[in-house]
Amino acid sequence: MSVALVVDDSSVNRMLLARHLASIGIDSKEAVDGRSAIDALKLFADEVAVVLLDVMMPEMDGYETLAAIKSDEALRHLPVIMISSLDELDSVARCLEMGAADYLPKPFNPVILAARVRASLADKRLHDVEVAHAEAQREMLETIDRQKTELARFLSPQVAALVSSPEGEQLLAGHRREATSVFLDLRGFTAFSDSAEPEEVLGVLREYHAAMGELIVEHGGTLEHFAGDGMMVFFNDPVPQADHVERAVRMAIAMREKFGALTTRWSKLGYELGLGIGIAAGYATLGRIGFEGRYDYGMVGTAVILASRLSSAAEANQILLNPRAHAAVEDLVLAERVGELQLKGFSRPIPTVNVLAPRAADAAEGMSADPPVLTGAGTTDG
Amino acid sequence: MSDETPILDEAIIAELRESVGGDDGFVAELAAAYLAEGPDHVRAMEAALARGDVAGAVRPAHTLKSSSAALGAMRVSVISKAIEHAAREGRTEGLETAVAEARTAWEQTVAAMNERKLAG
Repeated sequence: MSVALVVDDSSVNRMLLARHLASIGIDSKEAVDGRSAIDALKLFADEVAVVLLDVMMPEMDGYETLAAIKSDEALRHLPVIMISSLDELDSVARCLEMGAADYLPKPFNPVILAARVRASLADKRLHDVEVAHAEAQREMLETIDRQKTELARFLSPQVAALVSSPEGEQLLAGHRREATSVFLDLRGFTAFSDSAEPEEVLGVLREYHAAMGELIVEHGGTLEHFAGDGMMVFFNDPVPQADHVERAVRMAIAMREKFGALTTRWSKLGYELGLGIGIAAGYATLGRIGFEGRYDYGMVGTAVILASRLSSAAEANQILLNPRAHAAVEDLVLAERVGELQLKGFSRPIPTVNVLAPRAADAAEGMSADPPVLTGAGTTDG
Repeated sequence: MSDETPILDEAIIAELRESVGGDDGFVAELAAAYLAEGPDHVRAMEAALARGDVAGAVRPAHTLKSSSAALGAMRVSVISKAIEHAAREGRTEGLETAVAEARTAWEQTVAAMNERKLAG
């Protein structure tokens, strides 16, 4: 039930107003002057939906009371209906300018009173609905933000962003495009994990994942998954990257360096581990892979299998490229031919190169690798 | 002027009664409240004039005007309205007479309401 605050110094007027309000289903609270009206509003802020305010009162008159209500953040939305004699229309105009919603002429006509109070209550309800709606929307946005943040902990940032984007569903449904697949895994890991304590194994993996993960993010790669010592990263999806092969190769070079720093320390502890990387560019299908309850965003295609086989074939510190990937970065890195590899699942041998280092000009532009020690002849497969 | 105005306007009382669904009990309560607070307003007007505070007469005159009108006590209402306006504009001439008239009209109203058992 709605509650009205009736503010009038005349008990006759208060009683009459309360009575008329009751007949249209509105409860009343009463105040004898402006000051007690403000006190009552602070006390019953949640209940009062409309204020009926007399202009001429002791203590705080109607103007001061109206001004106090309209300048209070918590009260200003309350509709205020001025109670006024017909010979006071000037003061009514002033109150309307000050933010009063309406006025009610004395002597009271129950029909006019009902109409004006109902109109003000309807406005108030509309306002409340808008406020509630805005609040609900804000909460929803906060929830979505929180979910995005949580999602980003589990998924690669690109996939998390994709899931929350308007095009998300379409991209998730599956699409075909050129992409670069990168596989990394460790040489000597099986022997290491057989001989080392589980805590040591997990410690090494944690360091390795943290170091590589940082570089994946830095180069804008999408981490599809990691399983033990193996990691699969792809580029050019879901965020298109014109330089996807270059990014993949630069990331691989940075990983090899960073891994070098790790192995220096690990070898002192007696861990002999090496990093092998395979990179293949090609057309692939990307999108949601899996089953209800457990989906991944993944890449499927020959390039993926090829990158996986190349990383298995790579010796420690090698970064092996398929011809398509090599063609895209030929001008940027020095590479050596490693021959035509016969890889499982591929009927024809794959001409493969190993990335040695960025070319000099490129290195000067800020790539972190040392300038290449090898020069010219025999370093590329042409 | 006020002598022509009825002490109690039966038509207004009838209208009031009708507006509250013929609830005589409520009309009686309202009349009782009116009779209880009316003397304060009359006294407040007298006191304001006695201390030379003409503006101080505005509010009690205003309140008496409207509550009297609500209960059909039209003579008090009309006199109070004249006092309110004169006091607001600072017109002191005839104000004392008007307040004395209001006192007389008030006493007549009380008598008329009691006779009519308006307050039960």
